[in-house]
Amino acid sequence: MAMKRKNVFLRLWQLWMRELKFFSTRPLMLVVMFIAPVTLLVFFLSLMSAGLPTDLPAGIVDEDNTSTTRTLVRTLDAMENTDLRYSYSSLTEAREAMQRGEIYAFFHIPAGTTERALSQRRPKIGFYTNDAYFIAGSLLMRDMRTASEMIGMGISRQTFLAKGMADDAAMAAVRPIAIEAHPLGNPVLDYSVYLSNIIVPGCILLLVLIFTPYTIGLEWKRGKQRRVYNRLAGQSSTVFLAGKLVPQALLFSLMMLLCDVVFYKYLHFPCKCGMWMMFFIGVLCILAAQCFGVFVYGLLQGNMRFAMSVCSLWGIVSFSISGLSFPTMAMDPILQAAAWLFPLRHYYLLYVNQALHGYPLLFAWPSIVALLCFLLLPLLTLPLYRHAFRHAKYKP
Amino acid sequence: MTSLSNIARIAWIEFRNMMRDNGVVLFVFIVPLFYPLLYAFIYNNETVRDVPVAIVDGSRSPLSRQFARMLDATPEVRVVAQCASIAEAERLNQLGEIYAFVVIPDDLNRTLTDGRQAIIGVYADMAGMLYYKSALLAATNVSLELNKELKVERFYTGATRAQEAVATQPVTYDHVPLYNPQSGFASFLMPAVMMLILQQTLMLGIGMVGGGIRERYNGRALPPMKLYSDPMQIVLGKTAVYFIIYIVMAAYMFTVVNYIFGLPAIGRFGTYIMFMVPYLLGCTFMGITFSSFIYRREDCILLFVFMSLPLLFISGISWPAAAIPRFWKCVGMLFPSTYAVNGYVRINSMGATLQQVGPEFIALWIQAGVYFILSLGFYYISIRKQRKIKK
Repeated sequence: MAMKRKNVFLRLWQLWMRELKFFSTRPLMLVVMFIAPVTLLVFFLSLMSAGLPTDLPAGIVDEDNTSTTRTLVRTLDAMENTDLRYSYSSLTEAREAMQRGEIYAFFHIPAGTTERALSQRRPKIGFYTNDAYFIAGSLLMRDMRTASEMIGMGISRQTFLAKGMADDAAMAAVRPIAIEAHPLGNPVLDYSVYLSNIIVPGCILLLVLIFTPYTIGLEWKRGKQRRVYNRLAGQSSTVFLAGKLVPQALLFSLMMLLCDVVFYKYLHFPCKCGMWMMFFIGVLCILAAQCFGVFVYGLLQGNMRFAMSVCSLWGIVSFSISGLSFPTMAMDPILQAAAWLFPLRHYYLLYVNQALHGYPLLFAWPSIVALLCFLLLPLLTLPLYRHAFRHAKYKP
Repeated sequence: MTSLSNIARIAWIEFRNMMRDNGVVLFVFIVPLFYPLLYAFIYNNETVRDVPVAIVDGSRSPLSRQFARMLDATPEVRVVAQCASIAEAERLNQLGEIYAFVVIPDDLNRTLTDGRQAIIGVYADMAGMLYYKSALLAATNVSLELNKELKVERFYTGATRAQEAVATQPVTYDHVPLYNPQSGFASFLMPAVMMLILQQTLMLGIGMVGGGIRERYNGRALPPMKLYSDPMQIVLGKTAVYFIIYIVMAAYMFTVVNYIFGLPAIGRFGTYIMFMVPYLLGCTFMGITFSSFIYRREDCILLFVFMSLPLLFISGISWPAAAIPRFWKCVGMLFPSTYAVNGYVRINSMGATLQQVGPEFIALWIQAGVYFILSLGFYYISIRKQRKIKK
């Protein structure tokens, strides 16, 4: 009995050493396990380093051109997200500029606006946003709407002041109820906090998902599957898979750790659960992704390319279905149910629960259970692996 | 005439190699046909409606109840719970039953009668920007509406409707969301997704066929046949196959996918196809150039798939181009998708003509030209290598 157990450890050790040696000889491995994750981390962090895009180019069509409208233009220009860079003489010109992609929005003040306002004839102003560019369109919409509200309020306030009201009272009379926003967990609305720290780990999970059937399949491709199975793994699929996957899991986990250190220690992204908790969640998801890859490869009986294709399509969809940009609750019920089958969805939910809100892990138990279920998937395919080792061949 | 028949034969061999590999068939035929449908299905609802929110009503007055009712009536949110305290609302948030809560202060009425400004807090879960956007938008709209009523009640009793209107809103305004009237997600993201699917699957297909040839012929980029002796013929032959397949796929996306999901499509079909010509050529030539690095078929799945995400962001469709650092803009210039996404959005969603997408159109032709020369060079070198081996 003691002999046999020693054997297993010895076998695993031999398999691990074999894997590491293999990694060191192929540049592609270096690319996938080191260069790609680091590049992606640098890419997303530098891309969104501004946090919230500021000074988006916008235009103005001021047909009225009085001192009042010029004040409005200055107010709008001073707003955080808006840069009123261009001035156009007509609506058509502004629309054409928008079609050329020079501006994301423009503000229109028709002739006679000031006069109508002074004579109490309720003038109408307008703003046009290009919502084909969603983020830019929404941000500019917010600014322009606030500015439009402010004009009306400014005029009302003047009226109340003229009636002899004090400054505060006039403001309260103009706007009795004000709304105050409290974005929970991300007070500055930093897009990087909201996107980078899911997308970069998501990319690592995508790489894991594709890499797993790739490395397993290489044994078949190189025609060594029987030798490995019989001699090194002692005819045990479990030993083979553990020997194959543990070294890469370690290396990918290191990359995950790098991300966590950069996000939560260096950039101080909100993280109420502590960095190690996020690391633990990341490792759990890496293992889940690996197990999914093992499952697909086993199911397809060693058809390496097909397994890789399925895994890559699965991994790419997970960015959309996980609900980090477009909420899953707004999707079709079928998709809401399907979202459970994607490890990234659980990573996202656990991130929200743990890092963003710092709630007890208990509240996120369904995701933990789901990830643990992923870890059991390979058990279903062990008999299929046994068959694949004996009979399946690489299909050129 | 022989050169033309050579090109045709090269094209035929390429086509056969494609059909023989089910991995390639999957990426070249199945993915462009079905992936856009899947994505459109995911984003089909366009916007988030009826985000569940809770109300923490400290005031419990007719006014606060009116606020809650009006909030519930907005399309953006739905009031699912009344909580006694912020702690209780937070608990509901923990359970994932609500995504935001609105806090009405205890002294709402007193503050208002005292002639001071009352503040209502909107606490939104930042798990998604859209929850925040919906909750804040709904609360702001309701407050503006209520403010009007309050003002009239307090200062303009006995005024006519017209007087009331002038007093409550001396200047009116209109917001016109152009080119995406519902401000929807599918309308905004689908164009970029479709263009990226074309480029990425094309690169995967070419890379996998190229890798397959290397595997079959001991690492050589070309089969050792006399047929493969002129780089120009090889490039043209291969390109012909992919171009024909992909122009059909491109037309399918513009017509069928846009039609089924009712996406904005006000562009002209002719303009679109003209625009696709340099794009598909550029992608094909780039695929051939990149395939020079591919020695094993499966490698290109590892290398190309994850690039889709950075390419989506670099195109400036989700993250505004004005906020992209210069370095990444330069990197983006290497990929046809950057220009194609922007050009396509303008043609398809904004009805631009070919002149209006002139800069993108020219950039795509330049890219196609550069990658064409690079792919010629790649085959030229491979042919020379093979000749040396023979000698």
